[in-house]
Amino acid sequence: MKGLRTDGTAIRVMAVDDSPITRKMIKKALEPEGFEIIGEAGNGRDAVELYNKVKPDVITMDVTMPIMDGLQAAQVIKKQNPAQKIVMLSAMSDNDIVAEARGWGIVHFCAKPFKPEEIVEKILRVISE
Amino acid sequence: MELSTTIASFVRASNNIFRDMLDLNIHKGQAEAEGDSFISQGFTVMVGLTGGWEGWFFLDMSQETAIKMASLMVGEDYHSIEEEEVLLAGAEIANIISGNAITDINNIHSGLNIRLTPPSIFAGDNMSMFNVKLNACSVLLQSDIGNVKLNVVMKEAK
Repeated sequence: MKGLRTDGTAIRVMAVDDSPITRKMIKKALEPEGFEIIGEAGNGRDAVELYNKVKPDVITMDVTMPIMDGLQAAQVIKKQNPAQKIVMLSAMSDNDIVAEARGWGIVHFCAKPFKPEEIVEKILRVISE
Repeated sequence: MELSTTIASFVRASNNIFRDMLDLNIHKGQAEAEGDSFISQGFTVMVGLTGGWEGWFFLDMSQETAIKMASLMVGEDYHSIEEEEVLLAGAEIANIISGNAITDINNIHSGLNIRLTPPSIFAGDNMSMFNVKLNACSVLLQSDIGNVKLNVVMKEAK
């Protein structure tokens, strides 16, 4: 159970993606490993609101979303809490997007399509830093 | 900008995604000019492209193929195009194909900064998809679950 800490508590993940199917696939990848999906949001604005309520250990953040995109949402969250762990999980990861995310201290990208083990490993890596 | 060259990024992305995500091998046909319209096979997802180049990417297939594709993606059985997850799965596959392709194009053409709009889904019989005053390029991909058409329409933004 890679999603459990040594004290037995689950690593709490907030999944942000405008695709309910992708959020479902994130849950399918993480929950069997013991991770807890503490909240879900379908756009950046909702993600910022939900973040303040659930304070997750890690956020998986899509880039292309309606209303507010993932880079903007990550920027707002990082301003509130520079230590917040975020994994960008997106089909878009060109040099400009990666550079912008790095500017906000986000260095972890997981490209879509992802395999279950890839997202597990990315989250464990960001948690360990 | 040469559309027949640009569509190669979409074909590469589709190859990778069909293989890695759906465990499908595909055989691609030749890129061909399509004019300003095409007839949908029954299920079409449209993703808008904005930034340095503007246009659309269409992922088009039959409704039967869309149902099979959703089942492979999610690992659950679907039986009707009216099931919401079939629509959502098709939209996400189009989003991932276009995202991977545009990542490739943006990295080749530094400064283009093309971005995607959220996908729109069209399902029905005998739908004509028009791109007024724009010409498109298409590639028909053959797979074990049916034919999938990639259609790309782009022009340089003014």
